Amino acid sequence: MIQLIFFLTIGVLLFASLFFLARRNPRPEGSSGALIEARQALTALQGGLLPIEFVHRVFAPDDWDYVRSEAPAGVRSLFLEERKKIALLWVDQVRAQIRSLRHFHRGSARSYARLNPRLEMELALSFAGLAFTCRLLRAVVYVGGPFAAPRLVNAMAGAASHACKISEQSLAFLNAAQLGVLNGPSTGQATL
Amino acid sequence: MNTATRRVDVEHAAEDLRHRTLSEIPRSLDRLIYLASMRDYNTGLYYHDGLASRFTQEVACQALADCHREAFNQLVSCSLRELVGQMEEYIRSTHTSPRNFVTAWRKLEPYRVAVPVETDPVVAHFLFSSFKIALAVLEARLRSAQSGPVA
Repeated sequence: MIQLIFFLTIGVLLFASLFFLARRNPRPEGSSGALIEARQALTALQGGLLPIEFVHRVFAPDDWDYVRSEAPAGVRSLFLEERKKIALLWVDQVRAQIRSLRHFHRGSARSYARLNPRLEMELALSFAGLAFTCRLLRAVVYVGGPFAAPRLVNAMAGAASHACKISEQSLAFLNAAQLGVLNGPSTGQATL
Repeated sequence: MNTATRRVDVEHAAEDLRHRTLSEIPRSLDRLIYLASMRDYNTGLYYHDGLASRFTQEVACQALADCHREAFNQLVSCSLRELVGQMEEYIRSTHTSPRNFVTAWRKLEPYRVAVPVETDPVVAHFLFSSFKIALAVLEARLRSAQSGPVA
C-alpha cells in the first residue's frame, strides 16, 4: 500500500512538472519566431523607448516645474497622474522587450554554435541586473512618482542600451545566416 | 528600381517637400496635422499630387511618411510649455473660438489619428497624454481669463 502511494505520488509529480514545462514555453526557443521577436524588441528599444531625448521628456522635471508655476491644483494632479502612468508604462515596456531579448538569447545559446560565449555571459549578467533595476524602478515610481529616482532611470536606460548593443553584436552573424536560410538550404551552422 | 536608387529618390522627394511645402509651416504641430491629412485612412498610404508628378507615387508616399515621422518626433521632443504655445498659435491660425476648440479637442481627441504608423505605443501614449495636459492648461487659462482679475 505504501509502495502504491509512493509511486502514485511520483507519477503525479512527474505529470505536474511536465504540465508546467509545457505551459511555461509554448514556442521553441531559438526559433525563427523568437528571432523576429528579438529583432522587434531591439527596434522598439533602440528606436522608441531608449533614445535619451524621450527618456528625458518623460522623467525630467522641466514639465512639472512649468505646470507647478502655471496651472491650478486640478491640472497639477492630472499632470502627476498622467506622467506616472506613462513612466510605469515605459518601465513595463522596457522590461517586456528586455525579457523578449533574454528569451531569444537563452534559446540561441543552445541553437547557434557561433555565438560568442563571453558576450553571452556578459548579456546574461546585464539581463539579470536589468530585471532587478526594472522592478526597483517600478516600485520607486509607483510610490514616489515619476521624478523620484532620476539616477535610477538613467542607470536603467544606460544598462538597457548597453544590453542592446551587446545583443546586436551577438546577433550580427545572424544577418548572413538568415539570408542563407531565406535564399535556399542552410549551409551554415544556424538552424532557424 | 533597386533599393539604393529608391532610397536616394525618397530623400530627394523629402527634401523637395521640406523646401517647397513644409518650410511654409513653421510649427511641428501644424506639420504633423498637415502630413497626417495627406494619408488615406483606408489604406495608410500618403498622396500628394505635386510630389507624385515630380517623382513617382511610391516615392512620394515614402517621402511623406518620412516627413510625417520627423514632425512627430519633433513634437514629442517639445516641452509641455512649447506644446501649449504651439497649440495657442494653432488655435489662432484656425480662427476658431478657443473655448470651442478646447472642448472639441477634449471630446474628439483628433490628435490620436495624427500618429504615424509603426510608432512605438509608449511614445504615442506620451504624446496623447501631453495633449491632454496641454488642453487642461489652456482650459484653466480660459477659465481664469473669463473670471477676470480679482479686484
